[in-house]
Amino acid sequence: MNEIIGKFAREGILIEDNAYFRLKEMDDPATASSEIIVKIKKNGGGKFTLLTSEMLDDLFELTEEIDNPAEIKARGPINVPREREFDFRVITDTSKRSYTSGEIGDMISYFNSRFSCLRDLLKRRPELKSHVPIADLRGGDDAVSIIGIINEIRTTKNNHRMLELEDDTGEITVVVHNENHKLFEKSEKLVRDEVIGVQGAKKGRFVVASEIFHPGVPRIQEKEMDFSVAFISDVHIGSQTFLEDAFTKFVKWINGDFGTEDQMNIAADIKYLVVAGDIVDGIGIYPGQEKELIIRDINEQYEEAARLFGEIRDDIKIVMIPGNHDASRIAEPQPAIPEEYAKPLYSLKNVEFLSNPSMVSLDGIKTLIYHGRSFDDMAMSVNGLSHERSDLIMEELLEKRHLAPIYGERTPLASEIEDHLVIDDVPHILHTGHVHINAYKKYKGIHLINSGTFQSQTEFQKIYNIVPTCGQVPVLNRGVMKLLEFN
Amino acid sequence: MIDYFNELERETERLYEIAGKARAKGLDVSTKPEIPLAKDLAERVEGLVGPEGIAKRIKELERDRGREEVAFQIASEIASQPVPDDDPAERERLADQALRTALAILTEGVVAAPLEGIAKVRIKENFDRSRYLAVYFAGPIRSAGGTAAALSVLIADYIRLAINLDRYKPIDREIERYVEEVELYESEVTNLQYSPKPDEVRLAASNIPVEVTGEPTDKVEVSHRDLERVETNNIRGGALLAMVEGVIQKAPKVLKYSRQLKLEGWDWLEKFSKAPKKDGGEDKVVVKADSKYVEDIIGGRPVLAYPSRKGAFRLRYGRSRNTGLAAMGVHPATMELLEFLAVGTQMKIERPGKGNCVVPVDTIEGPIVKLRNGDVIRVEDVETARRVRSDVEEILFLGDMLVAFGEFLRNNHVLMPAGWCEEWWIQTLLSSDNYPESDPLKLARHRYNWNDLRLGAEEAFRISEEYGVPLHPRYTYFYHDVTVEELNRLREWLKTGRLDDELVLDLKPEKRILEILGVPHRQGESGVIIGYNDAFALLNTLREPLEDSDDTLEALNRVSGVRIMKKAPTYIGTRVGRPEKTKERKMRPAPHVLFPIGKYGGSRRNIPDAAKRGSIVVEVGRATCPSCRVSSMQSICPSCGSRTVIGEPGKRKINLASLLKRAGENVSVRKMDEIKGVEGMISADKFPEPLEKGILRAKNDVYTFKDATIRHDSTDLPLTHFTPREVGVPVSKLRELGYTHDYQGEELEREDQILELKVQDVVISENCADYLVRVAGFVDDLLERFYGLERFYNVKTRDDLVGHLIAGLAPHTSAAVLGRIIGFTEASACYAHPYFHSAKRRNCDSDEDSVMLLLDALLNFSKSYLPSTRGGSMDAPLVLSTRIDPEEIDDESHNIDAMDMIPLEVYERSFEHAKPTDVLDVIDNVEKRLGKPEQYSGLMFSHNTSSIHAGPKVCLYKLLPTMKEKVESQISLAEKIRAVDQRAVVEGVLMSHFLPDMMGNIRAFSRQKVRCTKCNRKYRRIPLGGECRCGGNLVLTVSKGSVIKYLEISKNLASRYPIDPYLMQRIEILEYGVNSLFESDRSKQSSLDVFL
Repeated sequence: MNEIIGKFAREGILIEDNAYFRLKEMDDPATASSEIIVKIKKNGGGKFTLLTSEMLDDLFELTEEIDNPAEIKARGPINVPREREFDFRVITDTSKRSYTSGEIGDMISYFNSRFSCLRDLLKRRPELKSHVPIADLRGGDDAVSIIGIINEIRTTKNNHRMLELEDDTGEITVVVHNENHKLFEKSEKLVRDEVIGVQGAKKGRFVVASEIFHPGVPRIQEKEMDFSVAFISDVHIGSQTFLEDAFTKFVKWINGDFGTEDQMNIAADIKYLVVAGDIVDGIGIYPGQEKELIIRDINEQYEEAARLFGEIRDDIKIVMIPGNHDASRIAEPQPAIPEEYAKPLYSLKNVEFLSNPSMVSLDGIKTLIYHGRSFDDMAMSVNGLSHERSDLIMEELLEKRHLAPIYGERTPLASEIEDHLVIDDVPHILHTGHVHINAYKKYKGIHLINSGTFQSQTEFQKIYNIVPTCGQVPVLNRGVMKLLEFN
Repeated sequence: MIDYFNELERETERLYEIAGKARAKGLDVSTKPEIPLAKDLAERVEGLVGPEGIAKRIKELERDRGREEVAFQIASEIASQPVPDDDPAERERLADQALRTALAILTEGVVAAPLEGIAKVRIKENFDRSRYLAVYFAGPIRSAGGTAAALSVLIADYIRLAINLDRYKPIDREIERYVEEVELYESEVTNLQYSPKPDEVRLAASNIPVEVTGEPTDKVEVSHRDLERVETNNIRGGALLAMVEGVIQKAPKVLKYSRQLKLEGWDWLEKFSKAPKKDGGEDKVVVKADSKYVEDIIGGRPVLAYPSRKGAFRLRYGRSRNTGLAAMGVHPATMELLEFLAVGTQMKIERPGKGNCVVPVDTIEGPIVKLRNGDVIRVEDVETARRVRSDVEEILFLGDMLVAFGEFLRNNHVLMPAGWCEEWWIQTLLSSDNYPESDPLKLARHRYNWNDLRLGAEEAFRISEEYGVPLHPRYTYFYHDVTVEELNRLREWLKTGRLDDELVLDLKPEKRILEILGVPHRQGESGVIIGYNDAFALLNTLREPLEDSDDTLEALNRVSGVRIMKKAPTYIGTRVGRPEKTKERKMRPAPHVLFPIGKYGGSRRNIPDAAKRGSIVVEVGRATCPSCRVSSMQSICPSCGSRTVIGEPGKRKINLASLLKRAGENVSVRKMDEIKGVEGMISADKFPEPLEKGILRAKNDVYTFKDATIRHDSTDLPLTHFTPREVGVPVSKLRELGYTHDYQGEELEREDQILELKVQDVVISENCADYLVRVAGFVDDLLERFYGLERFYNVKTRDDLVGHLIAGLAPHTSAAVLGRIIGFTEASACYAHPYFHSAKRRNCDSDEDSVMLLLDALLNFSKSYLPSTRGGSMDAPLVLSTRIDPEEIDDESHNIDAMDMIPLEVYERSFEHAKPTDVLDVIDNVEKRLGKPEQYSGLMFSHNTSSIHAGPKVCLYKLLPTMKEKVESQISLAEKIRAVDQRAVVEGVLMSHFLPDMMGNIRAFSRQKVRCTKCNRKYRRIPLGGECRCGGNLVLTVSKGSVIKYLEISKNLASRYPIDPYLMQRIEILEYGVNSLFESDRSKQSSLDVFL
């Protein structure tokens, strides 16, 4: 089969003749096709999209929407206000607050902490006001409501869904009938170890659900911003595939040495730079990594990071959390990158080192920063969620009010006495990385941002046909999302 | 030989009769022994998978067809039988049967794949409504091997055509699903032998005319979900094995058969059959050092030599009576010196294959070592090795590795240049035109006893000069390992002394050259002393200064006067693999009887403890009498004597106390403190064993396996010849057993005569013998006290076991092989004829398997105890092969050498890297004897050994209690061996063992399950209540200990040796992570507070 058609077919996209010929005429049809696919998926194109020539135009335009400051020469220095007042506040940071000692008791209190925090959120719902402990459920109750943590999700032979639900008093099986289409569909997004509320009827040994509740987030009031924030992640300094040129261009732009007047005006307005993990490529992260590194020394990787970040004008506050590649423990929450490995970076006066996750207030804008390891598990567990659309995953996580609900899969979780991955305070911005693909969505007034990467496609990504968005930086420009490209 | 087989069969039938009588009493599940006997392949196939009567048809077809052809023919015949009304379910059943029978024929009716590797065969529908055949593969298809797995797909196609089905027409999503699964399998499960590119998978998936699908094997979900025709969203491991390691990897073979059978639609396979690489200059084969075997270095398993490194094992061609089938000979002095090599220890090797087992052969060269006092000596026996071991400063040369020609043949590895050795020299001389046939030097008697010939150096030179043959190997040193310049320096130094009785020289750096050449010498106060013979040889070899050249040996030959050969042109790198093993098989916890007692017996499952409760409730199956409705646990109704019927299992209350009491009375055993049962039965019927069996097993201190047989496991080693003395059996006894003459046809009279082992006779380990003595005691007790028959074995000591029959059985197979005990070895291994191991589908590169006392298996084995889960019938004796026919066993054994000497042509052509198949015309091996009487006798060996169990019996790895000590020994050995790079070993252990282990365990720790200490129930996530449903305590399944297990030792290594900073940093970061996980910041703070 033709390579182009095959590429689309595999993603469930049919391609119209005209569109196909246009693509075929292009310089590099394969890459163009991949880009188009990513865009279609990002724009909510699900299964069985028909790609028409008109759509192609729209999609190409999308490309043009991205500013490319590299193309335009600088026209002189911009006006950057000299003395700035920062209203920067750390709301949560777990660094140096790891109180686990790896005992089983810590594990018990970890999940109890998760359960009680989320139950408290759920309890506020009127439907769940009268919830009862599972142990107190009696047969024949027509309307019961319970709150529990999901142990297991199964599908029966007749294609009904069964949820094993547990609270601190006992456990019960909740049935979601497939005839109840709406509820059944909703239940498809449930994952293990999240905490939910259920309304339904007790029938025999089961509760037949009539409604399922997430802790959820309310629509929030948008907050005025009189400044701009840039978001990056997954820089992977030290890797052979780190795009140093793109990063340097980005730094030049932020310093006001690059771009159109509009772009420079945005740059001048930037007050904060948030970095959501994987600053360096790290060492020993996966087998054979040493062969793909250009800097094989973790200290030198951070030294290089300090050199690159040190170029950024020092009146921008930089907030950094670790990712799974950084020198920290791998279990989440991850403490901030330790000073002993990143001394030169620590010597930069404008950098704040925080844990993954952590919440900060940037002049009153509450920003929750999380690297995004749990996206792997979410994409694996929930039909319809994928790495390309991490905004949809973020949406789910917000509704579940937990950054990494699934236990026991790929995301290692430390049994901290408190569950720091619970989202107990609703942020204005949720910023993540890890998947190397940009995503943005405004959901109930909250900016969901995934900031892509500065690493070109790796061997691993090639095999899995993951097309990263390289050198594209989302900027929240006084409340408006703008994507700038430095490639 | 016929007498021998008949004798074995007579004895087997006698045991079968006894077992039949016992079973007829109706005290067991069935009234007959449940292991059918099979004389040949056809009967095995029928016994294993059926259908009934197929053996006869197979035998008919075998007369004029090859094995594969028979398989295809049988498949099509079974599948296309007329079916009334063309009942689709019946047609499906026949297709299923056809495939299993054909696969069983291809796998010699031994492995479990035909039963377990194919879950089912279905007739399904394409989207255009045409019908096609789908084969559901399961994980155990692995045991069939790639070729058989591939051919089973081809057979399925053949069946499809025989029953007029359309081809499978996959849709794109189904094809992409295969592509994804292959990648997922490799990233999440395990590596495939061959990693196909996505397009290769696409090509195969879209062209294979039957659907290769299967059961989910791993809990890994794919993203191509909910396909209409694919029932599972998980990885289908069996299907992937059949497609990748089968069809794709074995494409040339599949293509060959498809053409032979005129099957259409397989030509696309041509794209996989790469033409052999021949880039231009075909004549020049360059063989490079191969480091694959040292890519992983495991803690405590030392590297003995880096790839092709000077001073490593020297390749020596030949087979001893205890080598072949991947077992290779090493001098027992080397084994003793290294301590990590015991009889049967596995080595991973550079070539010709991947691994081997070490056996002692003392007619080859031992190691050359340098002692602390500066002396360099040849270590030629075990006693010397033991004596000097603690004084060894450097192991300059590890000695020989005796590799059979058949090993190169088996691995299809080009021949490697042969080392200049005594047997080659003597053949060269005797066949030289210059040497008179009258044999003036009386050397013919040394043709096979080359080590008895002790030549002085002067004589050696004289012979070479007079008859124009190269210098004797004893005086040929490792010249090729030094440079011309070094030899010239050495020569200058040698000239400073005067040769009298010895050559005495002042100590100079040139001594090192002497060491590398492997010239024995002493170091005293007066300087360096070289013995007369070696000094003479050196001085007469280095007669003139050498001209500058890259080829030292060539330069040397220009001045030497006599021809100097390459002492060691091929060095073989190795590392220690798995240690040898011989041990009774115990499940954990180890039951005496398959009788369920739930949790009543505590964690030890002790029946007397459970009986203290009186009655217990457990899930069991019971039998009911159809006439008088009495329920019992017997196959014959205890009250009316009719045959009972086993009912559905269910939770039942049983009075264990009275049951136990009665059982004790039945077998007259008063009271046993410990009789261990099982928690629950894992079989479908859940029908328990009689308690009496447990009482008697406990009394005799033996344990049962899941199928009610008693097993003993040992490493497999090959043996073709033995002496009465070494197996510890008197001549008279052996004569009774048919060993009347030795291998040269002399009457057997003495204990040191060499006898040719009969093909089903086995030499078991002493440990095994001691266990079987107890098993025999149990069987006799069982016969006498339980069945009311006569005792049979009456065995008191292990010697009484000689002549008794055993059944050998390998894991992943389902056919046991009949054997006879003929003696004992001190080694931790089971020595048997290579045919015997091959009949079990084993080779000798550290495979291990079990023996059972035959009567025990016949009396106690029942299929009904086998678990109903996938793989349950593997490792169970579903059929017993009573006779070994080398034509019907794994063809690996056909490569066994049968020569009493390596032909000169092999030595000569080894230098041009000839393919083994190109020199086959001068080779005598089993292949050439198939179908002739010589296949059973006259298999010769080229190198004798004085003992098959010389050297250490237990690998040092097993003797050292802690990993720390194992690694210390590993590293200190690395320091001593010249062919090993110590730093690389330290880094290797860290990189491939300790660091991945710690990383894996940290990850595992942070996503672990918890387990109940009382009922063993596991929870994926700890329940909020913090305790088990049963009220028991929950504990972690991944302990802190297992996470930090290697941390201290890694840090210690990192601090003591100059290792790569990359590794240092990885260790540091890991330590940071570990501390963060196990040390509360609060405690760190409070300890800080103290100082504030």
